[in-house]
Amino acid sequence: MRVFPFRPGTLLCAARLCAVIGLLAALPMPGVLAQQAAPAGSSGLSQGDIARMLPATDMGANDARNRDPHLRPVSDSPATPFDAAPIPKNPLAPDADAVGAKTCIACHALENVQASHSLHVASFRVGAAHSGPQAACETCHGPGSLHAKNPAAKGTIIAFTHDGGTPVQAQTQVCLGCHAGGARQHWLGSVHENRGLSCSDCHNPMARLSPEGVLAKPSINEVCSSCHQDIRAKFNRRSHMPLPEGQMACTDCHNPHGTITKPLLKTDTVNETCYACHAEKRGPFLFEHAPVRQNCLNCHDVHGSNQQTLLVAPIPMLCQQCHTMTQHPNDLQSAAGLGKGVSPDERIMGRGCLTCHTNIHGSNNPSGPKFHK
Amino acid sequence: MRKLQLLLLALPGLVAGTAAAQVADGSDTMRVGDMQYGNALDPRGWTPMMAGIQEGFSWLHAGMKRTPTGVPYPYPPQADDGTPLAPGSDWTYRGLLQLGYIHLNGDRNAEFFRQYSDWKNGFAPGYLGLMFDNRRTGEYVEFRGSRLSADDQYYRLRAGKYGSYRVEAFYRDMPHTVSTNAFPIWNGIGSNQLTLPASLTPGGSTPAQIAAASAAAPRRTIGLTRTRSGLSLEGELYHGWIGSAAISNEERKGTRLWGGPMFFAFNQLQGGINETVRPIDFSTTDVNLSLRKVGKVWRFVGTYTGSFFRNHKDYLDYQSPFQLQNVVGVPQVANIYQGEFSLEPDNDYHNLRLDLSRELKGNGQFSVAAAWGTMRQNAALRPPVTCTGLLGVDMTPIGGPNYTLPCADWNTPAALSQRNANARIDTGLFDARVNFHPSSSFGWHAGLRWYREDNKTRYLAYNPQTGQYGYISENGSQGSIVPGEVGIFDPRNPLYWSSNVTVRNVPYGYDDTLFELGGDWQPGRRDSLGVVYTFDHNEPKYRERKRVDEHRIKVSWVSRSLGEATLRASYEYARRRGGPYNYDPYAQFFSEALPGFVDPVNGLPAHTVADMRKYDLSDRDESKARLIVTYPFGDATTVSATLYGNRDQYATPIGRQDTRSTGATLQWDWQPSARTTASAYLGIETSHMGVSNVGDSDGGAAGAALGTPGQTNPKLGGPLYPYGNQWWEFDRERNSNAGFTLTHDFGRVRADLNYNYSGSFGHVGYSYATIGALAYREADAAAAAGNAFPDNKYRSNTLELGFNFDFTRRFGMRLFGRRETGSFTDWHYLGFDQTLSYGQRIYTDKGPQHHYGVTMLGAMFNVKL
Repeated sequence: MRVFPFRPGTLLCAARLCAVIGLLAALPMPGVLAQQAAPAGSSGLSQGDIARMLPATDMGANDARNRDPHLRPVSDSPATPFDAAPIPKNPLAPDADAVGAKTCIACHALENVQASHSLHVASFRVGAAHSGPQAACETCHGPGSLHAKNPAAKGTIIAFTHDGGTPVQAQTQVCLGCHAGGARQHWLGSVHENRGLSCSDCHNPMARLSPEGVLAKPSINEVCSSCHQDIRAKFNRRSHMPLPEGQMACTDCHNPHGTITKPLLKTDTVNETCYACHAEKRGPFLFEHAPVRQNCLNCHDVHGSNQQTLLVAPIPMLCQQCHTMTQHPNDLQSAAGLGKGVSPDERIMGRGCLTCHTNIHGSNNPSGPKFHK
Repeated sequence: MRKLQLLLLALPGLVAGTAAAQVADGSDTMRVGDMQYGNALDPRGWTPMMAGIQEGFSWLHAGMKRTPTGVPYPYPPQADDGTPLAPGSDWTYRGLLQLGYIHLNGDRNAEFFRQYSDWKNGFAPGYLGLMFDNRRTGEYVEFRGSRLSADDQYYRLRAGKYGSYRVEAFYRDMPHTVSTNAFPIWNGIGSNQLTLPASLTPGGSTPAQIAAASAAAPRRTIGLTRTRSGLSLEGELYHGWIGSAAISNEERKGTRLWGGPMFFAFNQLQGGINETVRPIDFSTTDVNLSLRKVGKVWRFVGTYTGSFFRNHKDYLDYQSPFQLQNVVGVPQVANIYQGEFSLEPDNDYHNLRLDLSRELKGNGQFSVAAAWGTMRQNAALRPPVTCTGLLGVDMTPIGGPNYTLPCADWNTPAALSQRNANARIDTGLFDARVNFHPSSSFGWHAGLRWYREDNKTRYLAYNPQTGQYGYISENGSQGSIVPGEVGIFDPRNPLYWSSNVTVRNVPYGYDDTLFELGGDWQPGRRDSLGVVYTFDHNEPKYRERKRVDEHRIKVSWVSRSLGEATLRASYEYARRRGGPYNYDPYAQFFSEALPGFVDPVNGLPAHTVADMRKYDLSDRDESKARLIVTYPFGDATTVSATLYGNRDQYATPIGRQDTRSTGATLQWDWQPSARTTASAYLGIETSHMGVSNVGDSDGGAAGAALGTPGQTNPKLGGPLYPYGNQWWEFDRERNSNAGFTLTHDFGRVRADLNYNYSGSFGHVGYSYATIGALAYREADAAAAAGNAFPDNKYRSNTLELGFNFDFTRRFGMRLFGRRETGSFTDWHYLGFDQTLSYGQRIYTDKGPQHHYGVTMLGAMFNVKL
């Protein structure tokens, strides 16, 4: 593709020019008129018109459309499954009409190029060789006639960016119009919804910035750390899970779209999430250790720790929070008990308590009630 | 209100597109794991594909747009339309192949350098990304792969048809290095039979001989490799019903540091402490099936998850070199040197979950979820002990009783009350919640969640051969050092009828009920206030409290009214209380609960101090506050900051006292053009945890209550737990992080520079009422006790510089270098760099290196495909 040099000084001119082009493009053109059966609205296009203008494939679209009483039944429509997603109303421009993607692209040429390489838009573009991607833009951005007339006016189009003027709730409603349910079954009431996040805080379907997931950054972990900077820092600690090394993502454990757990875990409990990779810890064991069975987080800080094996405190202090039993657990260990001390003591050297109580996650040995075996 | 009505009008129509979108969405974020494919060379697993001349995103405006929060989107890479697969073909392809050489210099075996990456000197197929698209049919095939070594590689294939189906397959090896500084004395590392070298005699070696064997032991790396492979399929099955099936298998092989107790070595006791190495040889197969449907008002998800874990080495036998000696000085009749661990048993897991949601009038939604799960294992149990001959102490030479037992009575499965574990835990979940947003400025929600973990495992430690209860403690070593402390209870034998030992397992479980009520209110378009009240009622089974209740209230504020900034602030306060605290609920699992148990002359020693409260059950007041601000400056600059703090206060004189953490982060991003980007960040966090404990009066300066009638008194300040034995300890940590990135495109050359610093400082200090609290009260030890352990420090610096050259549109090269240095001290390993042998103790791991520095240079040749 030929790339034209870009100069910021041309911006204003370009914007004005595009407004004019947009208006011109919004006018019925001969090629488009030929496809219009029932003009409606100021642009002369109905949703049914746009649906029919969508490219031809055979991926079950007709089934979807025929089941939808809001759409005109068709038997030979050249539509994709995605054309069943009609154009959403823009709450800030309720009188706007659809103008078709060609109109949008007249100005948003480079956006068109970039978006075409994103899974999201490419899916609308299936079969572009036949009839062109007319409805793709307005399926998300709403009807564009008012925007075409006045491109600088905020809110005339459903925007998903910081200064676009569209309320976050309206943005998410558009996305959930197609993407409700499934992994987003519990979006409503989730912490991310309550904190006013929009889908486009994490996703950008207008360019392929990430290998998958149409993310707003090149990787999942970069997306999450744009807000959770303190958690990102914890992964730099001495013991951590392999996120900085690219082997894991936050979404291996968390579903940011909402779950029935507060920390957005993918499973019903903390332990079930941990067992998904650490299946050996699942047991059940003949002899269980109470805090282990209750919650792995009692002893581990899974995001990173300055102690060995993600422990929340140094051994033996970690154990001595609970173990005040008679005899050896409740002695105060001091520097005298270190390897170089005057009384080396296995309770604090090396792996400390775990040198003897090694099967601390549970023992399946008949002689293992103290996890020695 | 009108806007809301319009939204509501639009919704039913919007739902129509859901079926196709659902297929495209995938179920990845519903399944645990395998969401990320990358490695240390390229943690994103995508960076090479981001290269190329960047032309921006729009002709209409400079710079990139920002997310609704205000974070700038990165400039997209140059769009590549691809190459037709054949003349006239609808298929196009594009891709990139990266091949090169990596050279390492310096401490390339340093543990922290290799923790999760298996760097090698030599040829490296750095990256292969290949994408095929058919824009007419919507079919696609995508492949990504990279290889650093046979233990550090990934390959991922994804294919499908937009809106119809998707197939994925992957293979990956992920390394995890635990130590590169290990010197185990045993033969058979990696197997489940650890034998001593010829220079050592099992159960009969002197510390000097063991030290010599350790000094001669070769250096080894302890770690494992996770080899995962998987296949998944997802697509529309019938009229909007989307099905998915995924199966994955993981082979986890390697070693981990492990233990090997032969009773105490502290206080001049002649037991034996072995830091051994265990094998890791796991296979886990996971199956996930789901079915979902999104209708106009109903949404359904049904999920089955199965996990099947198999341990191919489910025990570890090891020989201990130490010669044990009883505390009474009589001839040692027991020769105990064979130790054994049961390692994790095979287990099966099933979980079935159904989620159903319904749209309600008033912009509402009702959701209900129910799940049932079970985890089970029925492994054959190992015999209680593996010794031969006798165990115990025969005191008849000094006129005492004979505390010996024939090992043959216990080293056989016939000594077990049951041959298999028959362990099982069932779980149940019910969750219902309702959300309403009757107007655009007000919403409320309520939820009720119930979860049960029902532990059905029951085990009685009873030897039908001998009629005795209990177990053999520490491979028979404890009873062979301390007369009578074998671990058994025998109601017919006066030597053992007062032994209070574990005879049953504790089937821990719990019921948890959580109620939540919340509301949010938007006083203006740019501000939102929220409040959520949560009541958590927990009923743990067989724990110190039968009921733990926590009330929590959280208020939050989201504002976009402070200029261009987005501010998110929250504060929450929680108050946890509960029912009466029983400091010893475990009597029923000990022999004291069996018929025939005879109280000792001075009564049973108190199990623990009655004033202790375990931190997961104790009364607690908790406060949390968090503020996240994102502030855009102009088109190119963004500053974001986080301030946070947590305070937990526990109401108990003994146990965890408090925790505190306070932190801040500051991030600066600058993105003036597609050619230049820069960022910098700073972070600092301090934390504190305090505990209190009390030593029991086990003799000497600590008093003389143990063994006297006072031993039954569990109270703090009593004869067994005198105030003079109380002590306090705190862990104070400080973490600091900093870094910057800079990228610039000079035209044919693009440069990138990264620097990261991470530092932590840990200080564990302590104080005590009198030296009665100390583990060692001799004059020299008390004098050496001080008031703190040596400080722990961990620092890491990483500087990376890379240049990408474009020779032609197709061929290019990346030259890169990385310098990583680190330093580490941990008092647990103090002195280990000089010796791993300490009297009756032998260790394997010297701990991470104190200082390391590694330089890595690489050249990668890029070919655009």
